[in-house]
Amino acid sequence: MVANQTFEQIGKYVFEIPRTFRADMRVPARFFADKPLLAMLQNDKCLDQLVNTATLPGAVGYALAMPDIHQGYGFPIGGVVATQLPDGVISPGGVGYDINCGVRLLGTHLERTEIAPHLDNLATVLNVNCPSGVGRGGHLRLSAGELDRVLQNGAQWARKKGLATDMDLQRTEENGCLAGADADKVSPRAKTRGFNQVGTLGAGNHFIEVDVVDKVFDPKTAGAFGLFAGQIVVQIHCGSRGLGHQVCGDYVKQFQKAVHQYGYKLPDRELVCAPVSSREGQDYLAAMKAAANYAFANRQVLTHHIRRSFEQALAGKVDNHHVFQVYDIAHNMAKIEEHEVDGRAVKVCVHRKGATRAFGPGSPELPPEYRRTGQPVLVPGSMGTASWVLAGTRDAMTRTFGSTCHGAGRTMSRKKAKKMIRGAQLREELEKQGIHIRPGSLSGLAEEAPAAYKDVNRVVDVVHGAGIAAKVARLAPLAVIKG
Amino acid sequence: MPENTQPEKQRGYKEIEHDADWALQVWGADLTALLRNAALGMNRLMQVGLPGKPVWQTRRFELTAGDAESLLVEWLDELVFWADVNQTIFTEFDMHRVTDTHLHVTAKGCRITDIGRCIKAVTFHNLKIRRVACGLETTVVFDV
Repeated sequence: MVANQTFEQIGKYVFEIPRTFRADMRVPARFFADKPLLAMLQNDKCLDQLVNTATLPGAVGYALAMPDIHQGYGFPIGGVVATQLPDGVISPGGVGYDINCGVRLLGTHLERTEIAPHLDNLATVLNVNCPSGVGRGGHLRLSAGELDRVLQNGAQWARKKGLATDMDLQRTEENGCLAGADADKVSPRAKTRGFNQVGTLGAGNHFIEVDVVDKVFDPKTAGAFGLFAGQIVVQIHCGSRGLGHQVCGDYVKQFQKAVHQYGYKLPDRELVCAPVSSREGQDYLAAMKAAANYAFANRQVLTHHIRRSFEQALAGKVDNHHVFQVYDIAHNMAKIEEHEVDGRAVKVCVHRKGATRAFGPGSPELPPEYRRTGQPVLVPGSMGTASWVLAGTRDAMTRTFGSTCHGAGRTMSRKKAKKMIRGAQLREELEKQGIHIRPGSLSGLAEEAPAAYKDVNRVVDVVHGAGIAAKVARLAPLAVIKG
Repeated sequence: MPENTQPEKQRGYKEIEHDADWALQVWGADLTALLRNAALGMNRLMQVGLPGKPVWQTRRFELTAGDAESLLVEWLDELVFWADVNQTIFTEFDMHRVTDTHLHVTAKGCRITDIGRCIKAVTFHNLKIRRVACGLETTVVFDV
């Protein structure tokens, strides 16, 4: 059990658990927090889970946790671990079941005052046009060949179908398509789950949210991102749906054997892994990329539905209802990247489990318009609270493998939230605040209540203060469509 | 899902606290009971709504795995798959043969009108089936 005396504060917002804490740690662990967040994260087992990730074979630098860290399964949510190629491992559990769960931010040319009279109708139309809920199929039913093309080409498949613009692709991580995806490494069972779920939100903490930019902190960078105070924007939070869940589950099961084969001793069976360069590792990586591409396509088709909804609800009522893409970024992914470790540039497999890539200025991976600012980092809050747009930093590149936080982070169990909060009452309270809510279910709404989450502003203060992302703009919710 | 009015002890499962996801403590006299109770407990977590006039169907499942824990994951994953793809929930189980590595069962279920809560997957997180005074016990963490 990680106790207070186990870690040392080594910076205003940085704490370190030394490698000597446990004999099986291969690297020290570091986490980001301020005092109140520190107190919260000691209420669950997230720091023990962080230490567990420090045991992964081939881990380099530090096992890291962002300030939205909370207890997960295997990895903590908010965990980042890099393993050195070729012998370092890849762990399906280190990516999670919702492969390429991520956030897309769309901008508009509308201001709050223009949209106010139409907001309720817009929320209803979005709710109708964007399918949500458990196992809920979408408007598309793909053939086997078409699904394979989605898995290979991601959002670029949607471009060919007329469901995306070139700008959408340019402003998506990896242009919406991870190279090296192999549809043949995705099981028939996973594909069965994927035939009719492209363009669906799913359930749980996934949402579409209409927001207003309520404060700009860095006008120059906000301008580069196409953002201004008072502007209406839209967030999409979802992932690879049942197909991604099945891919992860399939490989977690397969890797149970691989760990014995490679002689790994791990503290948790959910951390099973294999060398990135091994047949098992390469198979998983190719399947994970295919599922990630599915998620890019999913958010792209939802973007198309959102554009249709804006057209339906606002055409003829406002001057310009055009919706453009700001950025799309994953927060559950493993990526092969080059980073500096002990003064040397090395190729690593970076696992980000509930953590966002936050590449800083000058990164060649970014679209030209964001190369001077650093990439947009999208940090959704909980419904009823702020969300944030940040920018990646050079500091993140050297200290966190180019990673930062992904959200507020839970602080209350779903069971407790259900006990303490009534969905109907919460809906009423949010509506009193002027937030139009379209929930999938009232019990689901209660589980996702703002009170169940940490204060996202505090989390953002920590990453900003620590220099691993920089504040650009804050968003306030106006309408929330929950899965 | 109709409210299960059995006392918790007889029910064979209990939802326990987990920050981000859901966790279910499950117990039973033997592995057969444990697997059945785990399935019923998971149904309850999913808050499924049965239709007024359910059209019942039966399905045979034959599953194999490397050990008892893997078999438990395999079994629950199978049921998650049917809920996700066919909106079908199984509520009665005729367990024909159960060993640590093999499960042969006929399950009765129906298509449902509503699944209140989504289970993405069944995890191996700290999964260990333990021998206790009343038989076997374990805790399963679900990704939601």
